[in-house]
Amino acid sequence: MHFRTFAWRFIATISFLVILATSADAHEAWLLTPSEIEELSVAPIPPLFRSRLFLGIAATMGFAVSLFALRLEASITQLEDRLIAPFSRGFADVAPLFLRLGLASMLLLAAFGGLPRHGTSMWTTPTFLVPDMQLVGIALAGALTLVQLIVGFLLLLGLLTRICGAALVGFSMLGLAVFGSAFGSYGLHFAGPGLIVIALGGGRFSLDQAFHSDLGQKVAFRSRKFLWRGAQILIGIGFVYLGIAYKLLQPTLLIAILEHGEMPTFGLPMPVVALVMTGVEILCGALLVLGRLVRPVALAILGAITFLAVVLGETPLFHANLYGALLAMLLIGRHLPLPFGSVQFRRVRVA
Amino acid sequence: MLRRFYMKAAFAPCILAILLGSVVFAAPIVNGNGRPPRAVFLVLPDDIEPPKVSLQVEPFAQGKYRVQIDTTEFQFTDICVAQAQAAPIGHAHVHVNGAKVASAYQPVVLIGPLAPGEHVIDVVLRGQDHRAILGRTGLVQGTVEVFVPQQPV
Repeated sequence: MHFRTFAWRFIATISFLVILATSADAHEAWLLTPSEIEELSVAPIPPLFRSRLFLGIAATMGFAVSLFALRLEASITQLEDRLIAPFSRGFADVAPLFLRLGLASMLLLAAFGGLPRHGTSMWTTPTFLVPDMQLVGIALAGALTLVQLIVGFLLLLGLLTRICGAALVGFSMLGLAVFGSAFGSYGLHFAGPGLIVIALGGGRFSLDQAFHSDLGQKVAFRSRKFLWRGAQILIGIGFVYLGIAYKLLQPTLLIAILEHGEMPTFGLPMPVVALVMTGVEILCGALLVLGRLVRPVALAILGAITFLAVVLGETPLFHANLYGALLAMLLIGRHLPLPFGSVQFRRVRVA
Repeated sequence: MLRRFYMKAAFAPCILAILLGSVVFAAPIVNGNGRPPRAVFLVLPDDIEPPKVSLQVEPFAQGKYRVQIDTTEFQFTDICVAQAQAAPIGHAHVHVNGAKVASAYQPVVLIGPLAPGEHVIDVVLRGQDHRAILGRTGLVQGTVEVFVPQQPV
């Protein structure tokens, strides 16, 4: 790639990130107004979420749908392969690029305070990976900001990419150590994409390809199956945890956020919509953990978070880590095919 | 043997059934206590006197307004933690017409400039982990209405 072309792409990407960041908004609890918070404090938990009968019926329906889909998995996979085949030549280029850019954007904006917690001024308070984890009054806050910045830039450039993937896995553990259980909601959704970054590397549009600086390629190639399945398991567990801890066991919060965002319910009562969302999240997460129906699940989650982002008017940057990882899963499917490792591996060896 | 079971078609349905069964069994126990969502509220124990809040708003320079947050039984601090103890210590979130505009780590905060017209200023006391403090009398908050004239004061 010519330097000038690269420079233009780099500048365009940075500008795009800044534009996206300025419209930042989220489906966090902090969005609720004081009157909504007051209502929420006394809101009764809907019977749908308290009754074993209702939950049992809902779980049986979800189980039946999952069972039906699992029975059809072989035919669905054939259909997926046919549909994906026309794009397959670009897999090795597109998936790592989206993943890198998504993760880089979150890291860089967080380090500069461009993805602030709701109600905090832009570019004033750096955060750790996500808006809720403010780097204020925390030991080593400066060092964490700097490391985030470096890893973000390297991911953006596609330089030492697999090392950056390992750093992301490290960040998810570091976050738990620094912020405690509050980081539990986020850690797995950075560790999983981190493993995917290690498995896929920087891809064609990266400086690793240009400079042959793809460190860790041999190890990643040998353990690609472990990395790919590990990523599915971590991301899947993340969704199951979020579905249970934040939706199933705090349904009034989910309902309040949906009502605040005036989410269309298509004539259904809001608790039913909330329960469907909860069930979809838990089942999709469980299927990912099991490594089953990976592409349909990735498509379902991508569709759901995109729909929510549009309806609630939030920036896609809040889920940028997941967009890239889910896109990779959608394109690649259950098993990581050989071209991801072997083609690039041979290129480097020849060079 | 485990591998053979894993490869069998029944493995995934078994795991899903166990997961969903556990959820159906456990969720009503947790939800049955009817507590407000713990991600949003820091519930004070009943033996702690809930704080009270009253607000005074005065015009300040350049169209800004000075909000004085008078509290009882509450201690302001600028130290935030990821998981706070259920104690009346923390800061306040200041909202104007329902939108958060500032966090007050001390009893005085400047907001604005405000556009001409009526404004409702709400202050909700928060714990050190930003959760809203909920005492036995309900949400701990104060509200005041402000009229901003056409010409800045």
